[in-house]
Amino acid sequence: MTYPSVYPTGATLYDPGRCWNGYTIFQAKEVGALLIDMNGGEVQLWKELHGMPNRIFPGGYLIGSTGERSTAYSSQDGIDLVQVDWDGNIVWRFNQYEFVEDPGEESQWMARQHHDYQREGNPVGYYAPGLEPLVDRGKTLILSHKNVRNPVICDKPLLDDTIIEVTWEGDVVWEWICSEHFEELGFREDAKNLLFRNPNWLRAGGGMGDWMHINSMSALGPNRWFDAGDARFHPDNIIWCAREANLSAILDKASGRIVWRLGPNYDETAELRRLGWIIGQHHAHMIPRGLPGEGNILIFDNGGWAGYGSPNPGSVTGFRNALRDYSRVLEIDPISLKVVWQYTPVEAGLPFPVDANRFYSPFISSAQRLPNGNTLITEGSGGRIIEVTAGHEIVWEYISPYWGTMLKINMIYRAYRVPYEWVPQLERPRERPIERIDVSRFRVPGASPSGARRVVSVEGVLPYRPDAALCVRTDVGDAASKETSR
Amino acid sequence: MNRILFTAAGCARCIIARKFMIERSIACEEHDAVGEGKELFGRFYRDHRSAIFRGKEGIEFPVLAEGAEIRQGVAAVIAWLLAGPRLDGFIGRSELSKGWVGGVHVSGGDPAATNDLVAVLGVLKKHGLRLQLDTDGRNASVLETLLDKGIGDRLVMDLKGPRALYRLLLGAEVDPAEISRTMALATRFAEYRFETMVAPVPAPGSDPGALRYLTPEEIAETAGWLKEATGSHRQPYTLRWFDPQTQPGHRLRSVEKLPPHALLRHRTAARRHQVLAEIEARSA
Repeated sequence: MTYPSVYPTGATLYDPGRCWNGYTIFQAKEVGALLIDMNGGEVQLWKELHGMPNRIFPGGYLIGSTGERSTAYSSQDGIDLVQVDWDGNIVWRFNQYEFVEDPGEESQWMARQHHDYQREGNPVGYYAPGLEPLVDRGKTLILSHKNVRNPVICDKPLLDDTIIEVTWEGDVVWEWICSEHFEELGFREDAKNLLFRNPNWLRAGGGMGDWMHINSMSALGPNRWFDAGDARFHPDNIIWCAREANLSAILDKASGRIVWRLGPNYDETAELRRLGWIIGQHHAHMIPRGLPGEGNILIFDNGGWAGYGSPNPGSVTGFRNALRDYSRVLEIDPISLKVVWQYTPVEAGLPFPVDANRFYSPFISSAQRLPNGNTLITEGSGGRIIEVTAGHEIVWEYISPYWGTMLKINMIYRAYRVPYEWVPQLERPRERPIERIDVSRFRVPGASPSGARRVVSVEGVLPYRPDAALCVRTDVGDAASKETSR
Repeated sequence: MNRILFTAAGCARCIIARKFMIERSIACEEHDAVGEGKELFGRFYRDHRSAIFRGKEGIEFPVLAEGAEIRQGVAAVIAWLLAGPRLDGFIGRSELSKGWVGGVHVSGGDPAATNDLVAVLGVLKKHGLRLQLDTDGRNASVLETLLDKGIGDRLVMDLKGPRALYRLLLGAEVDPAEISRTMALATRFAEYRFETMVAPVPAPGSDPGALRYLTPEEIAETAGWLKEATGSHRQPYTLRWFDPQTQPGHRLRSVEKLPPHALLRHRTAARRHQVLAEIEARSA
């Protein structure tokens, strides 16, 4: 988290021969949906079109939202979910989930969409061979909000997460409401007690508890576990994760019941203890068929602050009682819970733990598996997108140059890499390597060049020793330094 | 005539019934069914099991026996004492508690007995009970009388379906204009809601016994009618599940239960006219 006040933005590193080259789409803060090429060239901006997240579908279609509900009355509610063409024309729109009448605001139908959605044809919304999202028909799964009361959870109003399935014509044909499955979520008594008293209280709308804060949702799609007879992994089943609860789960589409769970506690089995506490995670999804690691669960384990439980020195009430100041990207076998691959501060080459917080996004963020085995990681809070190889080398890096004016941050919620072929309107761009700058010698205009002008020697000085003078130990074990097999 | 009143110690509704009888000098033999009269009530219950409702929370008291007649619950007991069988269609079994009395069916009785109904409900109101009335739209004039007299704390209107199917769904003749009038009256209650059960109706075709459920389009028509009658697209409107297992006849019991998400299309259709339309939580 030690950022200089001056640093480059845009593409900063690019090795075309080792990248899975394509376009990258992301929501540029207070700018719109921005499509860039591998050199950071801004090939198209859908100006001020919102998106949580934005996605590109084959044919140059963009998915996003025309706006958000006033934050005085709720949190992160998207008015609608729209599909627009290359020229910005809306070709599909869904908003009829709830008719919202906020004082002083225009009464209107809203989708109340937040954080995720998936179009039929592709389970996760990113490229996988043979799994193209439909663009002129098909159902869409949408993660939405609903205000509920559920005295079993809390005596206060709750901002609940729902998942709905809507037809191309806009009919809601399936609905799952999280609070109805409270007893299936694995909360211990201390967590239930705290949840009742503080369900992540927001002041919006007179007050409501954003008790789960589900931040990703995708279908499993065809996978080897189901093929082998494990019904929990039916291709239609849905995986989601909830940051406030430190919980990822798979729900059975037919019954709605939770059939697989990771969290909210990570101290109940040897496998979970080995995995370590996952905190405030984002974008838990099953790597789709046809990509390296298919069938494994890929998670951006943010760290930061999340969870409900017993008080500790970092949390006097037990609210957000799990804390960690670095992030991890984990690829997990959903049966054994073994980490198959990971990218943590250790793999990033950062001295652990003293410099671990330089790979750290305490909120938002994501990870996308690419066809060549690389992983596109959005380290969201700092607006950084990196493509790393299976061997953990960064072969592409981009820093968003767009800082918000209302919130001075260049955050990127979630970026996606798409194949050139999905944007047929553009000529394939020229790919020009960007060599890593030697920052020890790089100087901005006006700064003196590196190197001392005069060097003197002092007789009797000893050579420096490795790891000699840190105030904390660096040889302690941690989840971040586990060996991986991939 | 031998009149026996079974009460339960500490039962506020029993006290109301007993007080009413004392005020009217109505003689009776009273037994505490959970105290000294426990054995007597046990025998009585075994002999009249079919006439006494026992819910999840047990038997509701008071229970009145007068010859062959048995009435259960404070409203039914007072109605019988005041008007005999004339109010039977209006007052049935209440499933509400915590200060509420239900089972008051505005559409179920003879409008000629409206004054008796007002008197009975007035007694309950005087003792601080809150009244939930229900209606299927018939007897709009009775409803208006109750409304004008300030009787009725909550109204639930069972809006059977669209105009064209209303008679069929109700199983009785009906004037759609009266249904519209009831809808409008309903909105004048301090608390009210509209409900439609997505129920089976005869299916067109060669098989006279075939049934099919109300369609989303028919629910949309119903919601549209509600909007037209009340002048509002924001009515509290709930779609209810039809449960074949609780139906009286074989024909309805043999109807296939709707799958879990079947009413979502109905809700979408209803929301074209009633934006607050929701689906009731389905019991397991």
